[in-house]
Amino acid sequence: MAERPEDLNLPNAVITRIIKEALPDGVNISKEARSAISRAASVFVLYATSCANNFAMKGKRKTLNAGDVLSAMEEMEFQRFISPLKEALDAYRREQKGKKEASEQKKKDKDKRTDSEEQDKSREDDNDEDDERMEEEEQNEEEEVDN
Amino acid sequence: MAAAATAAVTIGPTAALVAEEGPSGEAAPAAAPPPQAPAASAGPRLSRLPLARVKALVKADPDVTLAGQEAIFILARAAELFVETIARDAYFCAQQGKRKTLQRKDLDNAIEAVDEFAFLEGTLD
Repeated sequence: MAERPEDLNLPNAVITRIIKEALPDGVNISKEARSAISRAASVFVLYATSCANNFAMKGKRKTLNAGDVLSAMEEMEFQRFISPLKEALDAYRREQKGKKEASEQKKKDKDKRTDSEEQDKSREDDNDEDDERMEEEEQNEEEEVDN
Repeated sequence: MAAAATAAVTIGPTAALVAEEGPSGEAAPAAAPPPQAPAASAGPRLSRLPLARVKALVKADPDVTLAGQEAIFILARAAELFVETIARDAYFCAQQGKRKTLQRKDLDNAIEAVDEFAFLEGTLD
């Protein structure tokens, strides 16, 4: 737990893939360069967080929201990120909405299924427990970062 | 449409769970190809970086009280864009040296040359 914030790295495999896809085919990257970029990405997140937090505090809010992050991008002179970020946010919101509706639908379907199965099988499904656990995990996901 | 959404539900939380559990987040993101892509109309890829790791970075800031899930997501996506940007700028330097392998010095040059990267000076050592 005594790690410095900059030591919290993002997974190497993902960083490498992002780099490779951004560059033309046949271009390689040395381990040192890859590791430096990974570190830079962590520093970027920390700096952006700090910037975004300033906006939140200015707005007398305790919770960082997407708007704060977008304002931070502007402040950090990464305006070119703002448009793709807004698109990603829209897609993310749609996906979240879809997830919610899908899991509600799943529950409805499951209830229908269980009603008809009740007559045949005995209740030894541990599928139900798995679903419940998954739903609990989903709820955890929605919890906000708490210091 | 429903099938794709269901697929997203199955893969999404599972990937997040795996990312939460271990530091070896390499398997999880690699195993989760973007199923969201076909669902939206040629929409942007949602972030590949595990949100749990990004959340850990955000939590590291003592001044931050709470951060919404959307904020975490946008930060993850922004970090991705940042990696792409800095990789390309560093590659530009490598090309000048007629090399096809990006090296650490290319990165240092890019940081020095590009104003937006000024915040990185002194942080990578």
